[in-house]
Amino acid sequence: MSNPHYHPPKWLDKLIEMLCPSDLHEEVLGDLHERYHYMAVKKGSKPANLRYALEVMIYLKSTALSRSKSKHSKTHFAIMIKHYFITATRNIVRNKAFSFINVMGLVLGISAFLLINLWVDDEKSVDNFHEHQKDLYALYLTSEINGEVFGDYDIKEWELFSNRDVWLAEELPKVIPEIKHIATYITGYELPWGYPNTFQIGDVKHRLEGAITGNDFFKMFSYPILYGDKENPLTNAKTLVISEYMASIFFENPQDAVGKTIRYENTLDMKITGVFKNTQANSSLQFDYLISWEDAERLPIVMSDNKAPTFIQLHENADPKLVEQKLRAFDDSRNNPAYENLELGLQPYGDQYLVSKFENGKPTTGRIEYVRIFSGVAIFVLIIACINFTNLATSRSLKRAKEVGVRKVIGSSKKYLIWQFLGESVMLTTIAMIISLVLVSVALPAFNNFTGKEMLLPIGDLTYGLYLIGIIVLTGFLSGAYPAIFLSSLQPAKVLKGLARFTKSAKFFRKGLAIFQFSLSILLLIATLVVSRQTDYIQNTNLGYEKENVIYVRVEGDLVSKYHLFKERLSTKPGIAMVDRSSEAPHDMAFEIAGPFAWEGMEEGRQMSFKPTSVGFDFLEMMGLEIVDGRGFDKTIPTDTAAFMINETALRLMNLDEPLGKRISAWSKQGRIIGVLKDYHTHSLHEPIKPLIVDVKEDLNFGIIMVKTLPGQTETALKSLEEVSSIINPNYPLDYQFMDLEYAELYKNEKVVSSLSNIFAILAIMISCLGLLGLAMFSTEQRIKEIGIRKVLGASISSIIRLFSKDFLQLVALSFIIAAPIAAYLMKDWLQGFAYKISLSWWIFALTGIMALGIAFLTVAYQTFTAAKSNPIKNLRTE
Amino acid sequence: MRRSDLGEFEELVLLTVAVLTPSAYSVAVAEELEKQMDKIVTTGAVHSALQRLERKGYLDSSMGEATKERGGRRKRLFTVTTLGSRMLHSVKSIRDNLWGKIEPGTLPSLNLNH
Repeated sequence: MSNPHYHPPKWLDKLIEMLCPSDLHEEVLGDLHERYHYMAVKKGSKPANLRYALEVMIYLKSTALSRSKSKHSKTHFAIMIKHYFITATRNIVRNKAFSFINVMGLVLGISAFLLINLWVDDEKSVDNFHEHQKDLYALYLTSEINGEVFGDYDIKEWELFSNRDVWLAEELPKVIPEIKHIATYITGYELPWGYPNTFQIGDVKHRLEGAITGNDFFKMFSYPILYGDKENPLTNAKTLVISEYMASIFFENPQDAVGKTIRYENTLDMKITGVFKNTQANSSLQFDYLISWEDAERLPIVMSDNKAPTFIQLHENADPKLVEQKLRAFDDSRNNPAYENLELGLQPYGDQYLVSKFENGKPTTGRIEYVRIFSGVAIFVLIIACINFTNLATSRSLKRAKEVGVRKVIGSSKKYLIWQFLGESVMLTTIAMIISLVLVSVALPAFNNFTGKEMLLPIGDLTYGLYLIGIIVLTGFLSGAYPAIFLSSLQPAKVLKGLARFTKSAKFFRKGLAIFQFSLSILLLIATLVVSRQTDYIQNTNLGYEKENVIYVRVEGDLVSKYHLFKERLSTKPGIAMVDRSSEAPHDMAFEIAGPFAWEGMEEGRQMSFKPTSVGFDFLEMMGLEIVDGRGFDKTIPTDTAAFMINETALRLMNLDEPLGKRISAWSKQGRIIGVLKDYHTHSLHEPIKPLIVDVKEDLNFGIIMVKTLPGQTETALKSLEEVSSIINPNYPLDYQFMDLEYAELYKNEKVVSSLSNIFAILAIMISCLGLLGLAMFSTEQRIKEIGIRKVLGASISSIIRLFSKDFLQLVALSFIIAAPIAAYLMKDWLQGFAYKISLSWWIFALTGIMALGIAFLTVAYQTFTAAKSNPIKNLRTE
Repeated sequence: MRRSDLGEFEELVLLTVAVLTPSAYSVAVAEELEKQMDKIVTTGAVHSALQRLERKGYLDSSMGEATKERGGRRKRLFTVTTLGSRMLHSVKSIRDNLWGKIEPGTLPSLNLNH
């Protein structure tokens, strides 16, 4: 009588099975199917299906949702949950020390994880806030000089075009129609790079940093213009837009700035066409003003080097691969015989901050490396905390074995037990998460301070909330899974008889976890030691010159023509030891060029790049530079204005046997080599020492003036500097830098990384030791009778400690053996990024090993000592 | 025994169980009620009423035989308990009493059969 064609929708049955109490499944589904069958026979399957859906809904409403249980129900779900909750709370409260260790481990792990992730997210958010993000690209230029391949986002226009009046930003759109907008962003307009410019209205003078760019800039990037021309603010010559901050310096209300005239570098009056919102912290471009590109060539300042980062926005449907091909075609067609092997490339704009280092001329690494490393560290630390939890919970589990036994006898299924224990670990994780959030919000200001960021805990954010819940569930499950499975599989008969013991495999597993945990901690510890040693090394290594007690100011305004007067006046003032000049700051010589040099005996067709610098006569003495051959510059010898010095590296690369007296030329200047300087570091220690060529030019209109102060008299010296500067160069507010501080600034990244890794290595070790402490506590508790008997039979406290620590120390030693080679490999890789580096000496590893063993021993010994000291009678009496 | 212990629908279900005994189970009760009331009566509604009645002690149940239409699942058969029977009788006597007291002609007459 049944019709095989009629079948109610399966998913509805599934729904019933999921939501209805299981003891009702049979009768309910039976009822439903029977009714369905009648309906289908009577009216066909369509109405029957509809009716079926209705029936199911009514069922769910009345049975599942209203939670009205039949009296045949075997499990009282809500009651059980409540019961589990009570059991969990009692367990936590009863074992305060264990709960504390457990939760603390998780708190440390989760806090570290949250902090690192805030940092990582912040790093990733840099330059990723523009509306046209996906169409924005940064151009980079790959060039090959003497077989060496370089790459840079700073496009060296002189390499591309022999004609200095041709600009890439103007040429490219002519041949590549896919380009919607293009803008250069020029800060390194004059040596030294990116100095703050002086602006003036009336008597108010202020120095601010900014750039020169084209009108397209505001169309491409989302830097909102608040007042003034929002569409085309930079179309005309001698116009600029300024930030709200800059406007507030010169005007009461920022909107008043629009249309006003402002004096630039005391040379040029410009019109303010707009006021933009201050640049946000996660923008890699930070500027307070943008000057119209139209002005660039009309500005009465000398271009000493035309490097220009160039950004483009493609049309929405443009294919970046095709554009790259067209770029290749473009650089093949342009005409500059001096630079043959040039190649332009595209990098998504959002990536150029994190991927800023070039390898083989292509952008490959950079800060992204640190982002990756720290993401890894965050996960490591969390895993260490999870393992801690797992290990402690498993070792505690024998205590709860009886509970499991009783539950099983009464009829609890394995499934319910697993859920119970998982629920407990999720509950503990939730507590830990709440404490961590408090901890993180307290620590965040300090963390912001030394990472130089403005991060906030996005606690009100829904996605972040979900993310936190995700972490809770994941951590809870990861750390609770093994104990839950282990406990739920205990056999009640054995447990209740008191025969529960860890099996061999369970012991092995726990030891394995402890080893894994300690290996990670030791790895982090070694990494920290190496990183901080290297950071120390680069900051304190002998650079070959004296960077201490040197202040420098830029050559600008009247200092150009009155340099000699300035030097003469200042030299006699209190606190000042010496005054001299250089075209580049000696610690940060960025300019490197191959074209304009030639020397006597140079091979035909050879091109060798030098770092050129022009200095004053006293430069060598002031910087404490050593001369290895010949002599230094001497103002009493008139021909020395046409003399050159080179460094040892240059000498080696030039293949000169006898350098002294050889003719050499740089640009149009010709002269002879009078001496060879001992190599000194002209940049950060990331870079090897480059060939250097030095001459004397005391009348250059750019560069810096360096002032050496007497030790300990910096304040007096600054007063003297202020005084002389305000008389000789009144139109420019004094803006000075300390050379040693600026040098340290070159290693900002390393410093942040070093502090971060310090913190996290300490955290990891702490968590691991908490775990070890827990294990030791458990083991002494289990063997307290054994300790008692041993003592009664005459064992000394020290022998007991030795006996108990041995096991744990073996674990730590094994972890060290595993971690050391991995650490050695990783750190070797990291050190590759430095041209000058520490060697990975054995003592770093030995120290870490001893430290790890020492900390572990102290933890275990403390615990064992307490147990061993207790009165054996007390421990043996109870049964 | 409080009067409020028996809702109107519950009363109908209880009566139908009495009518259908010994083969009263939710589908049968629902079909019967649907016939009587001439509107859709879902098994779910009946089922939950049956459960309530059983919890209150007016019904007793046991598992019956399985049929093919039910996909081999057994049905739960219901019978009225003494308590349920007493309840039904008391309800009926209250109703009858009240009906008897209505003066003829007080209720508006209906065109259809009442």
